[in-house]
Amino acid sequence: MLDDAAVQVLLITLRVAACATLVAGPAGIAIGFLLARRSFPGKSVVETIVALPLVLPPTAIGYGLLSLFARSGWLGSRTLRFDLDILFTWRAAVIASSVVALPLVARTARAAFESVDTRLELMARTLGMSRLRAFASVTVPLAKRGLMAAAALGFGRALGEFGATAIIAGNIPGRTQTLSLAIFSAIQDDDGARALQYTAITVVVAFALLWWIEHLSRRDARAGRAA
Amino acid sequence: MRLPLAHFALDVDVRSDARWLGIFGPSGSGKTSLLESLAGWRRDAVVSARVDGVSLAEHLPRRSLPIEARGVGYVPQDALLFPHWSVRRNLEAGSVRAGASDRKLVERTLAVLCIGHLLERSTTQLSGGERQRVALARAILSGPRVLLLDEPLGALDRALRRRILPYLLRVRDEFGLPTLFVSHDATEVQALCDEVVVLEAGRVEAQGPPAHVFSSVRGRERVVENVLAGVVTELGTAGAVLELEDGGRALVPSGGVTVGERVVFALGSEEILIALDRPTRISARNVVAAGVVSVTATAEGEARVDARIEGGGAVLSVTLTQSSAAELELRAGADVHLLFKTTACRVLSVPEAE
Repeated sequence: MLDDAAVQVLLITLRVAACATLVAGPAGIAIGFLLARRSFPGKSVVETIVALPLVLPPTAIGYGLLSLFARSGWLGSRTLRFDLDILFTWRAAVIASSVVALPLVARTARAAFESVDTRLELMARTLGMSRLRAFASVTVPLAKRGLMAAAALGFGRALGEFGATAIIAGNIPGRTQTLSLAIFSAIQDDDGARALQYTAITVVVAFALLWWIEHLSRRDARAGRAA
Repeated sequence: MRLPLAHFALDVDVRSDARWLGIFGPSGSGKTSLLESLAGWRRDAVVSARVDGVSLAEHLPRRSLPIEARGVGYVPQDALLFPHWSVRRNLEAGSVRAGASDRKLVERTLAVLCIGHLLERSTTQLSGGERQRVALARAILSGPRVLLLDEPLGALDRALRRRILPYLLRVRDEFGLPTLFVSHDATEVQALCDEVVVLEAGRVEAQGPPAHVFSSVRGRERVVENVLAGVVTELGTAGAVLELEDGGRALVPSGGVTVGERVVFALGSEEILIALDRPTRISARNVVAAGVVSVTATAEGEARVDARIEGGGAVLSVTLTQSSAAELELRAGADVHLLFKTTACRVLSVPEAE
């Protein structure tokens, strides 16, 4: 069974991943929608910037965020004239996880929106629905499974975040120590049993998540076949 | 209206009093783009359109009347039903603009299109013909000022098209909505439309009554379908007697028709025989006196003879071999008799069970 320390690490991990999903989810879905449905000047630049965290080393992202929130950074206390109190708190872990999860969410959401025939939304409007109502009652339900998969992938990515989190949130037990950081600490402390326990918890959570995503896409495929 | 397309610019200026106006042309002539522009789906189109004197679309590119405010009922070729909703929910989506749904209109629409039994079905469980009928009902229930039908029969095979056509005829006669009917099938246009506009590479090539326009557009087409309409005056064992709208009478198969009903039927040009003298004691039930209007040599040693039914009636096209035409010395002005079997007449206005 899980001891108190393991439960605490698991709860911090789930809280950070859930909050990161709440941040990266809507933002990624909005970006995915813009990339799928709108053309605007500099679209390819936006696409590249959004994809950047996919290829950058998480440590580089972490260092970038550290510079941003450091006292003299753009969002630092000296510039803003008040302290956001982000660095080395669980909120920093949320920010790091959100940044690395965002490209995955945006790309999956984009594919979800692209899979919906835009003419269906036009048809809804031709039948008298407002632009917003047509979007909410036609596009969103048809893209729903893809959007849920996008959020789930974002959650999964946030769950395993290590490099950027370690740099801006630190590895503080009971405050910012997530499962991946805890595994790292256990290995450093030569505590094989604990590393194994945290690894097992990570595997179970990841398995449940992937099983759910797989379940969603199977349902999607069945619905597709029926069509 | 004007719209730049990939290979040409759509440039159309049409005025018509017809209730059902056909837009006829080959694939890629700009027919669908025309309807999409009227519906507001093409943002780069410059359109000025009026229905019964009221503006439907009056706009410049990127500053247009919102799509939802246009009041058009659009049925695209692929029906475009909402796949995540049942038939009932699709039809309810059509009632958004019309406000509180008009029960009588709903009932009448379901009856005319015979879709009452489909309401609880998923749209993914419908056949091609059923999809088109549901899309048509949805468009009608949206309370449009004009119907835009984009080859509603185009995605169906030939046999199914013939089965759906009667529903369109019913919609035309029951609802009386101004309609733009896009098609590349002359038979459909002749059966449904009061007037036709022929579109070629984005420009209007011809406009006028279908029979007149098609006789000049058909050129060297080998086989053509004659489409005739009339009212049933008598029902007998041999068939239904029709008083043709343009004069003359015809006996057609009686299945499903009633006395007083308006019936549209098609008759292939290769199904008609020509005799110089009025034949007697023959099995063909239809013998119609006519005057030859023109004789055109078509491909493969064949000729097409256009002959007007006696008394200023409709012009029927007949396909025969050039040698037969020469033997009979057929030329414009010659008096002939046209012979065709009752069973050669395909009644288009009676729906068959799907």
